Amino acid sequence: MGFGAYAVRRLLYTIPVTLGVMVLLFLLFEAIGGSPARLVLGKSATAESIAEWDAHNGYDLPLLISWEGLLRERSLVGLFDAQLPRYLWRLSRWDFGTSYVTNQPVRRMIFEGIIPSLSLTVPIFIAGFLASIGIALMCALHRKGHLDRIVVFLSVALMSIPYLGYILVGQFWLGYAWGWFPIWGYEGISHLVLPWLIGVVSGLGGNVRFYRTVMLDQVRADFIRTAFAKGCTTRRVLWVHLLRNAMIPILTQVVITIPFLYTGSLLLESFFGIPGLGYIGVHALHTGDRPVLSALVFVGSLLFVLFNVLTDLAYVWMDRRIRLG
Amino acid sequence: MTRWPRIPVAKFLLSSLLAFVFGECFSLHAFTLARPDPETRSDRVLLGSTKRLRSLDPIGSGDIASAMITGLIYEGLLRYGYLDRPYRLEPQLAEAMPEVDATGTRMTFRLRPGIYFADDRCFPSGSGREVTAADFRYSILRLADPRSSTTGFWVIRGRLRGLEAFRKRVEEVGDRAYEEPVEGIQALDDYTLEFLLTEPYPQFLWVLTMHYLHVVPREAVEFYGGDFQRYPVGTGPYRLVEWKRNYRIELERNPKWAQTGRREVYPEEGQSDDVRAGLLAEAGASLPFADRIIRYVVQDESTAWLMFLAGGLDLTLPTTDQFEGVSVMGGLSSALEARGVVLDKVPALQTIYIGFGMDDPVVGGNKKLRQALSSALDRSKLIELRAGQEIEAVNPIPPGIPGNTTRPNPYGYDLDRARRLLAEAGYPEGISERTGSRLELTLDFASQGQPEMRQRADLMVGMMRSIGVRLTPRFQLEPTFFERIDRRESQMFYILWSADYPDGENFLQLFFGPNSSPGPNHTNYASDAFDRLFEQARRMPDGAERTELYERLAGMVQEDCPWILVTHPLIYQLRHGWLENYKPHDFPYGNEVYYKVEPARRERMRKAFRKQPLGLRPSTLSVNGGE
Repeated sequence: MGFGAYAVRRLLYTIPVTLGVMVLLFLLFEAIGGSPARLVLGKSATAESIAEWDAHNGYDLPLLISWEGLLRERSLVGLFDAQLPRYLWRLSRWDFGTSYVTNQPVRRMIFEGIIPSLSLTVPIFIAGFLASIGIALMCALHRKGHLDRIVVFLSVALMSIPYLGYILVGQFWLGYAWGWFPIWGYEGISHLVLPWLIGVVSGLGGNVRFYRTVMLDQVRADFIRTAFAKGCTTRRVLWVHLLRNAMIPILTQVVITIPFLYTGSLLLESFFGIPGLGYIGVHALHTGDRPVLSALVFVGSLLFVLFNVLTDLAYVWMDRRIRLG
Repeated sequence: MTRWPRIPVAKFLLSSLLAFVFGECFSLHAFTLARPDPETRSDRVLLGSTKRLRSLDPIGSGDIASAMITGLIYEGLLRYGYLDRPYRLEPQLAEAMPEVDATGTRMTFRLRPGIYFADDRCFPSGSGREVTAADFRYSILRLADPRSSTTGFWVIRGRLRGLEAFRKRVEEVGDRAYEEPVEGIQALDDYTLEFLLTEPYPQFLWVLTMHYLHVVPREAVEFYGGDFQRYPVGTGPYRLVEWKRNYRIELERNPKWAQTGRREVYPEEGQSDDVRAGLLAEAGASLPFADRIIRYVVQDESTAWLMFLAGGLDLTLPTTDQFEGVSVMGGLSSALEARGVVLDKVPALQTIYIGFGMDDPVVGGNKKLRQALSSALDRSKLIELRAGQEIEAVNPIPPGIPGNTTRPNPYGYDLDRARRLLAEAGYPEGISERTGSRLELTLDFASQGQPEMRQRADLMVGMMRSIGVRLTPRFQLEPTFFERIDRRESQMFYILWSADYPDGENFLQLFFGPNSSPGPNHTNYASDAFDRLFEQARRMPDGAERTELYERLAGMVQEDCPWILVTHPLIYQLRHGWLENYKPHDFPYGNEVYYKVEPARRERMRKAFRKQPLGLRPSTLSVNGGE
């Protein structure tokens, strides 16, 4: 099978998966959850006002299909006058509805939140990745030496500190007590440096350990010994021979992480006042704002599916030894 | 060879993706990463924090955070006197208090002439026009429009004549229904507005202060459509400069006031305490004092606390953890005092209670059991847990509202009485006489088990264990909690009610039969005697006779125990000394108009901070995120 055909087949697989995601979302957020009228109408809602709201917003319709509609309309259109077909139709047009809490179109909320989220997570992701790879390569080169042991010790130590600990200590000492960084805000690069720093440092331990293990698997391979034996410089062995062969697990790790960047970082966003999707998502969870949750999960699922396909394609592109089938 | 156009699914997906991306990008209210520091300007700026705002449309702002902002942009017929305690009403856009006829159902307001909406592109010339009675009529009918997404319709539901017919007409003819007469609300001329109530309802005057009934221009609603909530156009002292959702909102003086010669003044009378507190130093001065108001959406309480300590916020509400770190015996620590921080303590018009599901077969039909459980609850321990930031509730109506009495709760804490009542209820030592098994109850909390709530629940479990009852707390998200209550599936639930207006009726309606679930009578308490008396009391004007009825109603609730009365919270608020004219208020919507800050004084005091480290550690910070 050629690469093009393989790519098309992988992409076509995404269609039933996406449909499955949409149906699952409906079942989780709409069918099980029931009517959100109480949430929308507030603490003084009455039975009458709730019934009115339900009727106005289609929550009094049948869940899956409408036999009543079929008889009434005498056409298939009437059959689909039910909650599930309406939901699927809306979602297929990227219409996520309106937030129950803010009354704002959810699509707009996602777009307003995505830039702050990415401005937080992308630099953390890139800096964290480069730092981890660099340190892991050094460890691989000096395996079982002092540097390697110290790095392993520090990595475990960094992994042992709760994320919240980094934030509280960073915000208090670096922000408030010493005044090196702004405590809070999203006004400029200077406001993002502390959250970036905390994001990179907190993730460094785990990443270094993972990449170190990947590198060590490769550094013991015969081709590395051969490369040194034929006189390659250390830099060339590391960056050309070792890194290239370690790419498959690294690629898997990296590409699978990318879809999650869009949801931002809940804690960093909450503590530093970054108005991203992490904050919006958790607020939606707390308030039962189902259109927002459903949209975030839907977009996240699509990105996840898409990046999985890209990973598969990248494997083939990176390593022609992988057979298509 | 490009084949994709032949695949309709791919084309559809691609086109919808493009529509999604570009459709939104062009309307994207992008965040700028560089903006001038708000404090480098020399004007008077009020800096505060807020929770997330829902909407700037008066009928859509059902949350406190939004109402705090809309209260600065929009105005209504009446408002609370800023310094008056007990709370008293005064005209805002009305010329005077209304004329009420002998039946108590006809209220006639004369409007102040010369009140203008802020300039906005929704008006043909861009210049805000004068407010008329028709604007009020439109704004109030808009609240009743079934197409509106509002949490506020309950404030007028069933109160104004012809409102239900109006709603039906809207369903039939849409916007044309606004042009048809509605008996309950009529603009008699440009400056005269008349309400016809379905029955005497003196609380309607309090309701008229609420932001749901503030005046909006129809032009703006129609011009902005669904985006009206983002582009407010009001008559108030401020107008919106910028609103970055979930991050920051900035208001500036409404220039229309100066252009049209509108002058509002700071109150000239107050209480004796107000004179001592310097609250009358600006008596008669022109309002507003601040040029701009900036509110940051600070989600995390510990962050808000650090911002306050650093001088970035003028005032803050400390959490219990922070409070313990900064207070000494309920007063202010010397370190904060030296910084000029002021602590305000005021009882809030709120009641925390444990409701019994009156439909529940165990607790619902067993009054003595409810009385026993109420008698087993040691409120003082709960208050201690909150570092004294609550007071014991003996009455469903909180202190400060007529109807609240000092008569003790007959089922306050008394373990002997609890055990005796439990035995009389058929559960001696907590063992059922009928089945021989231990009494097991479930208490619902609208919480995911935050540490403070868990501690509170643990204390209650221990208190019930002391009389032999096994109590199981159940933590859940707020929507699930209310769904359970609405479906009458909750046996006991821990909840708080905040006053919508300072009248006992607002608390006593929580026991009124017709308000049962999913209405605000969450316990589904049903008593014909209570309902009859309540119907009588709520139609009466304020006075000794009505207060007596309120007290009788409260006494019936004390006796029947559909609630375990727990506590009334106290609001402990910290503010910097540079914030002047601040007086705590239970309904503070729009009160920033009275606050004053001198930038030079703030900067001087901030500089002094740096020389006075507080010696706090991160451990004094709360880790209770969320709202």
